[in-house]
Amino acid sequence: MPVREDIFWVTCPRCGEKFYCDNQLRHSSIKLMCPKCRHRFLDSDSPEIRE
Amino acid sequence: MVKDLREYFQTLEAAGSNDVLRVSRPVDPRGFDVAAILQQLENRGDRRVVRFEKTLDLEGRPTDFSLVYNLFLTRELCAQAIGHPRGAVKMPLSLEFARRGEEHREPEVMDPSRAPVKEVVLSGEAVNMTTVPMFRYHEQDIGQYLTMLAVMKDPDDGFYDISFCKNMYLSPRRLTVSLQRKLSKHLLTILEKNEERGRPTPVAFILGHHPALSLGASALTTFGNDDYGTLGSFLGQPLRLTPSTSLGDDFLVPADAEMIIEGVIPPHAAEIQNPFGEFSRYYQPQVAVPYMEVTAVTHRRKAVIQGVFPGHADHFNLGSLAKEGGIYSEIKRVYRGVQAVYLPHSGVGRYTCYVSIKKRREADAKLVGMVPHLHVHHMQFVVVVDEDVDVFNEEDVIWAVVTRARLHQDINVLKGMPRADRVVIDATVPLDEPFPRKAQVPRQAVESCKLEEWLG
Repeated sequence: MPVREDIFWVTCPRCGEKFYCDNQLRHSSIKLMCPKCRHRFLDSDSPEIRE
Repeated sequence: MVKDLREYFQTLEAAGSNDVLRVSRPVDPRGFDVAAILQQLENRGDRRVVRFEKTLDLEGRPTDFSLVYNLFLTRELCAQAIGHPRGAVKMPLSLEFARRGEEHREPEVMDPSRAPVKEVVLSGEAVNMTTVPMFRYHEQDIGQYLTMLAVMKDPDDGFYDISFCKNMYLSPRRLTVSLQRKLSKHLLTILEKNEERGRPTPVAFILGHHPALSLGASALTTFGNDDYGTLGSFLGQPLRLTPSTSLGDDFLVPADAEMIIEGVIPPHAAEIQNPFGEFSRYYQPQVAVPYMEVTAVTHRRKAVIQGVFPGHADHFNLGSLAKEGGIYSEIKRVYRGVQAVYLPHSGVGRYTCYVSIKKRREADAKLVGMVPHLHVHHMQFVVVVDEDVDVFNEEDVIWAVVTRARLHQDINVLKGMPRADRVVIDATVPLDEPFPRKAQVPRQAVESCKLEEWLG
């Protein structure tokens, strides 16, 4: 489908918010940012990853 | 008269039209005031341009800036923006866009001392982006954004490339620049040319100008086209340019803009951006994009900042109208029988294209259906219909699909394409087998019928 993206879902380790990221950020050294609490974290620190 | 956003408002309001709604209470970028108002108006079917006359900044302080949204909400408004009759907004408007996209008007250069956009000049330490109102629209948007036109200059050939870009606030002198590395786009090509040489990339953002500029920036142009000339064509007069404040005298910016944000993108700079509710009406995933160091902000006094409501009709028309004209021209180059082209809102003005043709050979529709895929990288579904089907009437198009397409051979899936498969649906009457005739009330009977007399 057109809106299908190459993404993985993460969970913020601080507030539990779930959001998705482009696959370029999987195993990357760039810290993700939670859209709810703005906590910065590596994907490896997410308690749950769905890909 | 010089065409700019203020002149456009005068034209719109002088006509005595009911096109503009004014909101006088201040809107706060720390909440969802703007998006909530625009959503409510949409729910009511109110299709007016909205002027937010008072704004707060990112720290909640009153500003001298106002906002305008919905400049492209209807095809009638888009027609008015380029000086085209509001009563001819189907194919004649698309054709006018095609014509403008192929014309070029050389810009004029004026001294900065006379340029309206230099009424207020802030550079270096004086720049503070928290004073500019920028907004969140959707619940999970990660930050405040500006949606505007980005200008870059090719380091080899000196042409200017202009495209839509969004910027997320990072800090008082830093904004993201929404260029995704994996998508091939003109601005990214210029950025990568500079990066290969270890150089920063100068960039200027146009925040508010005559709406014809934004429509012209959507035109299908090839890399190497000097986009300032194309914008002049849509404007209907040469675009007035003036030297930038911080990017050198040979980097020119529109003199009649409401606000220009200048900056440089360091080589390989990367920062997080998104989620952001985009034109697809889904959140764009979080991604690493370049960022810019803002080097100057120049603006008119009481600047009017132009915004787009992402993922709504305003946004769809902005992406579709110029492309309809461009696709029509591209098809015309290879197939004279093209009649009309429409990018419907159900495909967010980008994913779906309806084309009508005067079919002569059985393979025509399938061949014509390839052309939009070659020229619009977002394109996913192309439906080709006969000339008796109104492409601007989606019910008519779907009727043609369900009654004329032979499902086993007329739905062509192009597999293995970048990002996703593409589809061409041939919904034309087959020429190589017997086919029923469309039922029609006699035209003469309809035309000679005086309805008022029958209804009393």
